[in-house]
Amino acid sequence: MYCAIWFALTLAGTAGLFMFQGAQFLGVATIVVYAGAILVTMLFVLMLAQPQGLSTYDRVSWEPLLGAGVGGLLVGLLTHLLRSSLATADAGFAAAKPMTENAVLVNEHVAGLGAQLFSKHLIAVEAGGSLLLVAVVAAVAITSQGVPKRQGGRYE
Amino acid sequence: MNETTLLLNYLVVGALLFAIGLVGFVTRRNLIVMFLAAEMMLQGVSLSLVAWGRYHGDWGGQMLVIFIITVAACEAAVALAMILMMFQRSGKLDIAFWQQERESNLPAFVDQELPAEPEESKHWPTLTPAGREPRFDQEEVVHRTHV
Repeated sequence: MYCAIWFALTLAGTAGLFMFQGAQFLGVATIVVYAGAILVTMLFVLMLAQPQGLSTYDRVSWEPLLGAGVGGLLVGLLTHLLRSSLATADAGFAAAKPMTENAVLVNEHVAGLGAQLFSKHLIAVEAGGSLLLVAVVAAVAITSQGVPKRQGGRYE
Repeated sequence: MNETTLLLNYLVVGALLFAIGLVGFVTRRNLIVMFLAAEMMLQGVSLSLVAWGRYHGDWGGQMLVIFIITVAACEAAVALAMILMMFQRSGKLDIAFWQQERESNLPAFVDQELPAEPEESKHWPTLTPAGREPRFDQEEVVHRTHV
């Protein structure tokens, strides 16, 4: 199960790209939040996987060719659309907006982010906090049900 | 590099991440891998949002990404709990085990011929056993033979 390790690498790359885009807080937050998630996932993998090789359902995919085709089509469409639309937008946008002060690229990045977060988006922050609480309660509720008694290899 | 080119590059990377995640989510059958693929789709969208925020000099994109991370954390908590419970019930991480929950008018997915197991994947790292050997519940061993 190397997929978890590769996903962690992908996350590190994304965090680096966030940093380049002037989103230092998000870069660090991504690493911190997902490091926990990835560690838990690795624990899952270690707990649940057994060293007898890949199971059959890991080697058989649903419609792999169709899926890959759809993915390639999606990337092609998106890229083409972006390229054509941004090419037309570029001239007008650059003329209309001289590149002066970019609010996102200031030095006091986290201060600006926090000021926005706790003034303009305060209700959303509260909602997000409530959502986290509900998720924690739900996770505990799901896992605390326990497994029903097995009868002849089947669950009732 | 001017701002529009930068934006375009980031959007393309975001689209690639999203598409890879989508393909992974649609094609793979392992519950944990499906979960990771969904997270990868979220990463692609986050990257696009941050790029747009930089392009417009606006905080909105980064705000949305903060909330995406929050929702992803909630999703991880609930999804991993559910995966654990489903594993305890079915003994495998196969999503096809749960196709009994499908709509009644849909056909069942049946495994066609299985590809032969590649030779090199048979050598997996193992841990050196230590301590007293636990007593195996025979029914449990049968239940989760091959994860």
